[in-house]
Amino acid sequence: MEIPYNSKPRPDTGLYNGKAGIWIFLASEIMLFGGVFSAYVLLRVGAEPGTWSMGLMNKWVGAFNTLILIASSATIVLAWVSLKLKDWAGFRKWKWATVVFAATFLIVKWSYEWPAKFTHYDVKFVSNEAAADVYRGFMGSDFQEKQKEIWQKRYDPKKDTFKDVKLKDMPLDGHIVGYWDKKGYHDVGSAFGLSFWSHAFVWRYDERNVSKRKGSYRDTFMEKDIVAIELAPTHGVWPDRKHASTGKIQYASASDDHAHGGGHHGVRIEKDQISRLSSYEPAHSTFFATYYTLTGLHALHVLGGILVMLYHLLPISRRMYERDPERFTNRIEITGLFWHFVDLVWIFLFPILYLL
Amino acid sequence: MSEEHSPEYYRKKFIPLIYMVGGILIAGTIITFAADLMGVADRFGFTNAIIIALSIATVKASAVIYIFMHLKWDINLKTISLTLLCTVIFLIGMMWLTVGSEIDSNKPGGTDTTWSHE
Repeated sequence: MEIPYNSKPRPDTGLYNGKAGIWIFLASEIMLFGGVFSAYVLLRVGAEPGTWSMGLMNKWVGAFNTLILIASSATIVLAWVSLKLKDWAGFRKWKWATVVFAATFLIVKWSYEWPAKFTHYDVKFVSNEAAADVYRGFMGSDFQEKQKEIWQKRYDPKKDTFKDVKLKDMPLDGHIVGYWDKKGYHDVGSAFGLSFWSHAFVWRYDERNVSKRKGSYRDTFMEKDIVAIELAPTHGVWPDRKHASTGKIQYASASDDHAHGGGHHGVRIEKDQISRLSSYEPAHSTFFATYYTLTGLHALHVLGGILVMLYHLLPISRRMYERDPERFTNRIEITGLFWHFVDLVWIFLFPILYLL
Repeated sequence: MSEEHSPEYYRKKFIPLIYMVGGILIAGTIITFAADLMGVADRFGFTNAIIIALSIATVKASAVIYIFMHLKWDINLKTISLTLLCTVIFLIGMMWLTVGSEIDSNKPGGTDTTWSHE
């Protein structure tokens, strides 16, 4: 028995089965993403001043991915129009373009944007004195003005918390380029010379959890018996000083055997100066937990869309097109509806997560 | 889309429309990004920056829904319009239940008036 309204629209609703189905599915998706957006707004509104670290996002990457997704949204409509014009070659051209754009979006996100965060660290200090010692070490005695500027840009867009936050709680961020244990210095290195594929991947230390070491908490300092780390403050954000400092902090100069290229000059920070070391992983803060939830959920939708689109490019789809062109064209239309929804979600995610 | 159109319509009207909407989306993204780089939040305040960014995002989203998702032609189909309407009403209602309670409550240290009827 043939299922009715697979290709032709049902007279009373004006919809074929697939289109009715996709709109009901999209309604459930609105509820899903609406829920997580609501959670984000509530967490953001309720966050204590200076704890929302969205200034750490790479806006250029976010903008690039937005343009990529917009382009894919246009090409998938063009693929559908090509089928309406009985142009199979045109359909394949635009469909492949959509797949390439979608794959680029995921490659940027999963091979650059996320790895860069998992190898990027915030260091907080045990005391204001320890923090001042480190900051003076590579910024000189007049570090506070520059540090205020960086703090406000990254954690305080309303510029009203600097006076309330203690120096020790203002994180110094950068890449871990090496560490010292009792045997001496070790370079952590990086894959292909790229800092965002550093071997220091999701290291953790929190002095508050030292007594809980037997539990599930992972303590990289204990695992590696670390006594100090060499942190290269984020290039282009923190001043790039090349001379040795006074006090406890030693600078890696260009002549040192553990100096690093690309303008990175590490600051030695002792373990007993650090209260918390965290990469920009979900456990870093409420902001990053919601960031990974939202962008991860969205990226899974992109991945699902790519799989469906690749199926439409297989020979089996060509056979279906030859057997029932209208039904196949309808399939492309409802795939497009799903894809536009994925684009819609990102249109709101970009300003909310990266800019505001 | 619900209506049948001639190949001529797709070639001469619909395809240019796709490029126009694509242009609007790209322009909206660039404007939002440029506004952020120029420090709109510093000049006009953080709240105004939120309003500007989300207004542009809403314009972009409307263009996608109206043209790319064919609502320009399909909005008269009650199955779609009523499904969307009910979803949006339900979503706003559920959000209001949670956001409403947040509005009534105070920050730590203040007096919690959530259940006060005075």
